[in-house]
Amino acid sequence: MVQVGIEAMNVFGGSAYVDVMELAEYRKLDLQRFNNLMMKEKTVALPCEDPVTFAVNAAKPILDSLSEDERSKIELLITCTESGIDFGKSLSTYVHDYLKLSRNCRLFEIKQACYSGTAGLQMASGLVLSQLSPGAKALVISTDISRFLLIGDSDAMSMDWSFAEPSGGAGAVAMLISDNPRIFQIDRGASGYYTYEVMDTCRPVPDSEAGDADLSLMSYLDCCQNSFNHYQKRVEGADFLKTFDFLAFHTPFGGMVKGAHRTMLRRLHRMNPAAIEEDFERRVSDSLIFCQRVGNIMGGTLFLALASLIDKASIKEPKRVGCFSYGSGCASEFFSGVITSESQKELKQLNIEGHLNQRYKLSMKEYTQLLEGSSAVKFGTRSAVIDPEMLAAARSRGLDKCLFLKEINEFHRRYEWS
Amino acid sequence: MTEEIIWNEVRKNIAEILPSVDVNGIKSNDRLVDLGANSVDRVEIVTLTLEGLNLTIPPHELAKANNLGDLVEILLKKASL
Repeated sequence: MVQVGIEAMNVFGGSAYVDVMELAEYRKLDLQRFNNLMMKEKTVALPCEDPVTFAVNAAKPILDSLSEDERSKIELLITCTESGIDFGKSLSTYVHDYLKLSRNCRLFEIKQACYSGTAGLQMASGLVLSQLSPGAKALVISTDISRFLLIGDSDAMSMDWSFAEPSGGAGAVAMLISDNPRIFQIDRGASGYYTYEVMDTCRPVPDSEAGDADLSLMSYLDCCQNSFNHYQKRVEGADFLKTFDFLAFHTPFGGMVKGAHRTMLRRLHRMNPAAIEEDFERRVSDSLIFCQRVGNIMGGTLFLALASLIDKASIKEPKRVGCFSYGSGCASEFFSGVITSESQKELKQLNIEGHLNQRYKLSMKEYTQLLEGSSAVKFGTRSAVIDPEMLAAARSRGLDKCLFLKEINEFHRRYEWS
Repeated sequence: MTEEIIWNEVRKNIAEILPSVDVNGIKSNDRLVDLGANSVDRVEIVTLTLEGLNLTIPPHELAKANNLGDLVEILLKKASL
């Protein structure tokens, strides 16, 4: 039987970050709220970083580790994003070019808010399982940035920004999907879906967000329970408490995952608060560590949580992970897969945490300057030259070899390697 | 199900999530946000109340509530169906 899942995986968490507590103090917000948020740092995109650079920088180390023959087997490139830079031309075209992928390759972009990464993973898995092209691999890259904070006057635009600003991050997760799933072997067919139209959070205009935070949190909880119900119909005997050694959830902020986990155990198993807390520490907390340092990276957040779990958890024998993906609007899926000590060994070689540690810490002054100066790379920018001196110290903090945006000429973006 | 039962359930859950609030002083035009509840607290209070009353209401219907009186009204309407 053909196996399928993630053969290789890497996270790019950017070049610069802000401390969330400093941000809270700067905005004069209630600090008590920020403990509930369970966030520590968030990545901030520099003017020379866009969804393309994040995507390429996440995937490059994976590509570099492949032989020429293996690279030529990548027949599908999917970018998953809600931060697109063009309505027609998908950013996968740039990614394909800068990663020097084979021209005998399909490419396109998927959008469905924070569910997009899961959509990409499952579509790529379908390619592998179909066996129409035996040995074919797919590169799926979730990439998103939140470089905006325009707050309008209407009700829909007055979100609970005290949660949105400190949790909105930037980052990308690249995943090579194949029949050799060394990082995460998907349980074939073990997927539950739950989907309906709801106007919770969205990006109805370029470079900003709108929505109703409470409605979004309620939809998340509703979908978590109902996608798991569907999973149980598909997987005989599935039990939220016993089937999964670990859980990785879409993490808009840590407090949301904690709330969802608590609600599920209370509803399904009538557990008391102390037992729920113990279970959270044992099965969930390792998945939050990277998320607490990068922020919500939308389509890639579930996989940032999965990477965190694989990097941090104690994995002596194979372990089953229950994954919950939610994207506003809304679409959701509960699925599962198996990780091993080998997964951990492979992932650790990419030193994701080391790169997060290397990022440049922005002062509040630098951060606010970035917010105010972000007009140069707004959606639809026709021509611009990115000032290479702007936060030059931060530019050098990413990977040793990093892609940056150089200029936009008649809408065509040009990039350069550091 | 009476309005009284629903109010008691709402007060009980507010007390659990927001221990510093005097639930006996709560009025129908109070909003959870004014009682100090953040987004996660608000959703938790509503979720607990639905569970306690054994009701299922779609998120978009609940989101119409602007204050606790609205919430109780929505719950009562659903319970009476």
